[in-house]
Amino acid sequence: MSYSDEEISRAARELHREWDSPELWPRIQAALAAEAAGAERRRALRVRAWLSVAAAAAVLVLGVSVLLRGRAPHAGVPAAEAERRLLTDQALREVERTESDYVRSIDALSRVAEPKVEEAGSPLMMSYREKLLLLDSAIAECRAGIERNRFNARLRRELLSLYQEKQHTLQQVMKEDEDAL
Amino acid sequence: MPVQDEGVFFEELYRSQGPRMKSVAYNILGNVTDAEDAVQEAFLRAYRGLRSFKGTARASTWVYRILVNACHDIGRQRRRRRDETELGPEERLPITTALPAGDAPLRVTLQKAVAALRPRQRDVFLLFEVEGFLHREIAEILDIAEGTSKALLFEAKRELQSALADAPGRPR
Repeated sequence: MSYSDEEISRAARELHREWDSPELWPRIQAALAAEAAGAERRRALRVRAWLSVAAAAAVLVLGVSVLLRGRAPHAGVPAAEAERRLLTDQALREVERTESDYVRSIDALSRVAEPKVEEAGSPLMMSYREKLLLLDSAIAECRAGIERNRFNARLRRELLSLYQEKQHTLQQVMKEDEDAL
Repeated sequence: MPVQDEGVFFEELYRSQGPRMKSVAYNILGNVTDAEDAVQEAFLRAYRGLRSFKGTARASTWVYRILVNACHDIGRQRRRRRDETELGPEERLPITTALPAGDAPLRVTLQKAVAALRPRQRDVFLLFEVEGFLHREIAEILDIAEGTSKALLFEAKRELQSALADAPGRPR
């Protein structure tokens, strides 16, 4: 015969044990206090570590900012260059506009004066024709140089001077023609 | 939870659950010293894991789960240290002390048979039959399904019946 479930359950309930242990709760309290103190120490250490890291980071940021300030004039170069380039572009546009005005004026004069130069047989007119051919050749050479470098100021000045000279020559041709009539 | 409130919380928990916690630990570990160490360890672990206590489980269920795990850990450590040597008599409570009259030989035999159960069977048997937890509570404590708790109890009782039937001095 074996024990029934009920008998086992009844016997099992008697396995519950209770005894006095007056030292246990004070022991647990002390252990919890020690744990709390340890946790507080660890927290303080973590805070100190973070503060050290933050201080190091602040020093690093300060150092980098000082370094960057020290380099500021160099850092400003592109801005100054851009401003200078902007001014240069504006000046160049003005020069090109002036050149265009000369070209238009010269074209207008040429349409009237060149047939007269071609037709005329006087030595003066022949020398004007020679001069105009030389001027056209020099102008073509200058323009070719300027196409390679639009910012070449010397060639620009020379071209302007050549245009003025051609304009002046054409005006002289017109004047000589009027005088001859 | 502020530190002062934590102290009150744990003191209240000890006052309400301490005796039953000691009994659970004693029946798992088999001696007073280890049982009290396990209860202390359970409170320490509960303190460390207080933030993980979401309040979805009852505080008592939560602390018993910690206690059972602490008992298993301490049991493993002690077994390794003592290499399964027999405990001294001073560490065991006298089987008849403060116990109601009953079948004392059966209790002694049952205690030994319970100690021989597989850990999960033993935990369920002790929590249900000895400490009076419900299967729903045991499921929370041991992190198992309620049905598993019932099945483990059934298996434990069958094992115990078999062990008690083979024991000397069984009823004829």
